[in-house]
Amino acid sequence: MIKKEVLEHVIFDTIKKGSCCIPKDVREAFNRAIANERTQKAKEGFNNTLKSLDLSIERMNPACPDTGWPLFFLKVGNEAKIEGGFMALEELARNMVAKATKEGYLRATMKHPLTGYDPGTNVGMNIPHFTYKFVPGNDIEISYAAKGGGSECFGGTRYKMIAFADGLAGIKKFVIDAYSAAARAGAICPPAVLGVGIGGTGNIASALAKEAACLRLVDSHHPEEMMSQIEKDLYDSINSLGIGPMGSGGDTSVFSVNVEYAYTHIAGIAVALSSNCWIARRATTRVYSDGRTEELDNPNWFDGR
Amino acid sequence: MATYYLNVPLTDEDVVQLKIGDLVYLSGPAFTCRSRLQRYIFDEKNKLPFSTEQRNLLIHVGPIIVRENDDWRLVSFTPTSSIRFEKWGAKSVKEWGLKAIVGKTTMGEETAQAMKEHKCVHLSPQSVSPNLWLDSIKIEDVYLFDELGTIEAAWHLQLDKFGPFVVDIDCEGNNYFEGIDTVVEENKKKAYKDLNIPADFKYTKLY
Repeated sequence: MIKKEVLEHVIFDTIKKGSCCIPKDVREAFNRAIANERTQKAKEGFNNTLKSLDLSIERMNPACPDTGWPLFFLKVGNEAKIEGGFMALEELARNMVAKATKEGYLRATMKHPLTGYDPGTNVGMNIPHFTYKFVPGNDIEISYAAKGGGSECFGGTRYKMIAFADGLAGIKKFVIDAYSAAARAGAICPPAVLGVGIGGTGNIASALAKEAACLRLVDSHHPEEMMSQIEKDLYDSINSLGIGPMGSGGDTSVFSVNVEYAYTHIAGIAVALSSNCWIARRATTRVYSDGRTEELDNPNWFDGR
Repeated sequence: MATYYLNVPLTDEDVVQLKIGDLVYLSGPAFTCRSRLQRYIFDEKNKLPFSTEQRNLLIHVGPIIVRENDDWRLVSFTPTSSIRFEKWGAKSVKEWGLKAIVGKTTMGEETAQAMKEHKCVHLSPQSVSPNLWLDSIKIEDVYLFDELGTIEAAWHLQLDKFGPFVVDIDCEGNNYFEGIDTVVEENKKKAYKDLNIPADFKYTKLY
């Protein structure tokens, strides 16, 4: 039985780390970009951002004032037992989001969509949001993603239904057109970690794209060759466009293209993309059934990537 | 491409010399703003409770600021996307007598036109580096805190070599990002080929 007291600490620390610390794979992507960029101006964009990100880790302050939508992703062991059950876990998570907001680890960003009412806690209707996945075992893995507003609001996250007749060309064209338009003038804070969802209903494709953007490592590859080839082709093509850091021109235009898919209806193919900003923030902690905890670099949300 | 260190209040001479692609550092007074302030003033017809004459630099930002021991502590600060505030851009330039707006992305044609008429520039960050900026920003005061809340209130700041920002709209209405657009569109033609997307590709119309 995992105790509430343990969960409370773990959830708070995971939120804090998720808001203040970029993961190792994203840090590596910055280093690669600094090495590869051919102009001093583009190098500086990456360099200054990385310097600030490292200071955030040292000072434990938010990596960006936009601490985003608070999203929880829970990988739950089929036999896992939690004191008070999962409703207690969600209540704790809401309380910890409010606490992290009060202490300045999160900005009070979440508002009523129509009235603009700001509770000052980042807690409201359907927010924070929880996504579950069930796996064998009795541990739980809690991931927190701070999903930035820019990368969500300017067309970096959207979907389109396409006909089978339009096939792979239609899928690739939608992704490259939508991404390049969204990255214009740095709107989505490029180079993004780009998630692509193919197939399923519109919302299944969108959820896969979001999870691929927020939970898969930069430079990870889909285990099926057809999918990893699409990842590679889109990665190379987008990086040939010249978008650069904050859309100001450069050689690095996307950090990673992560594709996930679902079987689809004979009627059509949903294609979704979800961009995570260059300071792609997430943190994951595993809680064992005996209460031990372990911080993980890889959420391992999709098996083996 | 030149680098400029400018002091606020900014003069017409300060800003007309700036060309797209130049880098700028700013010192002196500034104020912050995002949509709720502009809506409060321009749509809901309230009066701005301070003068912008000596403070003609606006920063689009939603900072994190906490109250500590009767004082304000700036936790994080990064310019936010200006393009969202295009609706009020031209009015802000004209009625507040602005000489520069700092914000992520850029602004649209109407604001660029107002910037041309009234001698004003838009400045855009090339990095997201709040920790490198914290030391160059001091909080002086805050207005409309009760009405608009921490993020959307008008914070009065004192800046010390705050930057660098690239000039993305100059006083002649040129836009830096249009140059990047041309490069990206040209590169896209080759990318389509590499991705086996036919030049005459058209989607089947489903809706």
